[in-house]
Amino acid sequence: MNGDEQFARARAGDTAALVALIREHQRSVYSIALRMLGSREAAEDLTQEVFMQLGAKIGSIASKEHLRFWLRQVTANRAIDQLRHAARFPMQPLCEESPLFGDGEEADPLLQRHLRGLLAELSAPARAVLVLRYQEDLDPVDIARALEMPINTVKSHLKRSLESLRTRCGKTTV
Amino acid sequence: MSHTRRRLGLAVLFFACSVPGPVGAAADPRLALPEFKDLAGKAKESVVITMDPSLLGMASRFMDSSDPEDAAAIAVIKGLQGIYVRSFTFDRDGAYQPADVEAIRRQLADPGWKRVVETRSKKTHADVDIYLMTDGDKVRGLALIASEPRALTIVNIVGAIDLDKLRKLEGQFGVPKFDVDSSTP
Amino acid sequence: MSDDLETRLTRALRPVAPSEEFSARLLARVGAEARLATPVLPLRRRRPAAAWWWSAGLAASLLLAVGIRHRAAESQERRAGLEARQQVFAALALTNQKVDLAVRTVRAESSDAP
Repeated sequence: MNGDEQFARARAGDTAALVALIREHQRSVYSIALRMLGSREAAEDLTQEVFMQLGAKIGSIASKEHLRFWLRQVTANRAIDQLRHAARFPMQPLCEESPLFGDGEEADPLLQRHLRGLLAELSAPARAVLVLRYQEDLDPVDIARALEMPINTVKSHLKRSLESLRTRCGKTTV
Repeated sequence: MSHTRRRLGLAVLFFACSVPGPVGAAADPRLALPEFKDLAGKAKESVVITMDPSLLGMASRFMDSSDPEDAAAIAVIKGLQGIYVRSFTFDRDGAYQPADVEAIRRQLADPGWKRVVETRSKKTHADVDIYLMTDGDKVRGLALIASEPRALTIVNIVGAIDLDKLRKLEGQFGVPKFDVDSSTP
Repeated sequence: MSDDLETRLTRALRPVAPSEEFSARLLARVGAEARLATPVLPLRRRRPAAAWWWSAGLAASLLLAVGIRHRAAESQERRAGLEARQQVFAALALTNQKVDLAVRTVRAESSDAP
């Protein structure tokens, strides 16, 4: 079954096809949730919520492209909502043995963990912008659509967050 | 041009051009659209949508007003009596002829219709004509014919279509936005 | 221009998979919920042991049959409604696409004009 057939069957109510779609997209959804919320447990909860919602909504999703966009949009926005309601941003303590953030195959694991830690200190919207840009490779236009944010706000978040990260990583601004 | 200016520009274009025309007692914003079975047979992709008031009503009953996409669609279709689409995509140029849409254009030559947009692209050879039927300052119907080298689309919307709300849907339903400055920082 | 920081960010934010255990639980749960949403009720036939049992069984079967037909009708209506909704989305998206085509042509012609 190719991707288009699988999507069409999932839309038509084929459970096996829906499960296959979830298997295909769970990595992306889980990672957005994890980078945003900073906790594996919270990321799992959010991932489950998103896919349960997908099960109810799949019939109205227009295309595979729309599905990808919808998953990123819903995950990022729900994560932002959760962070806004939390008493403080959940901070995962940096731990070299923790496999939580990384996948164990990093060229410079210490720096990358450091970067992820700095990311966790950004505001929820700024964090979402960076995750969608550098993890999901969305361009600013699509980020603006997904987060229902003006394009200039997206660009501003990118600019200021990168500057902040550069400074704190000890790099000079180019 | 920024997104806001482009939208304003389009709105001005629409409303400046939509001079109320004489509306005869019998002016009907619903076009007689055939199924175009011949074109469908040649097309690699066809979209044929025929939604009368009962189907539109059924559709809106299954929309969730708390969902932003659904709410936006509800706002657009509220007050409509019909949406009719015939769209065909071909895998080669010249698969359809101007004569295929001649019958539609003849209907749009009726006094009740006013062509408010006429674009001809020398680069892409894509032509788009948009017509409105108005009654005073109220829109009663919209017709669109988009002729591209490998695609033909005819849209007829019957009822008080709100163009501003329609344009606000840009970027939803998986359709990317166009003409927005996407330069990266 | 992609500098060193952006490259490092892309690497740092490489997607990670959830645990196998979570994944299995998630897929099982979604699958179960999806099957619950469209139940298929078996029509049970009872062996008539005595007249009144037989009547009660027949009444129960009839009620079940009515329930199944009602459920089937509801399910059919729901499918039709969702399909209609999808058609609205498709029509509006297509209309917007073609209006955008006109807008782009106007802009292109305007920028090309002397």
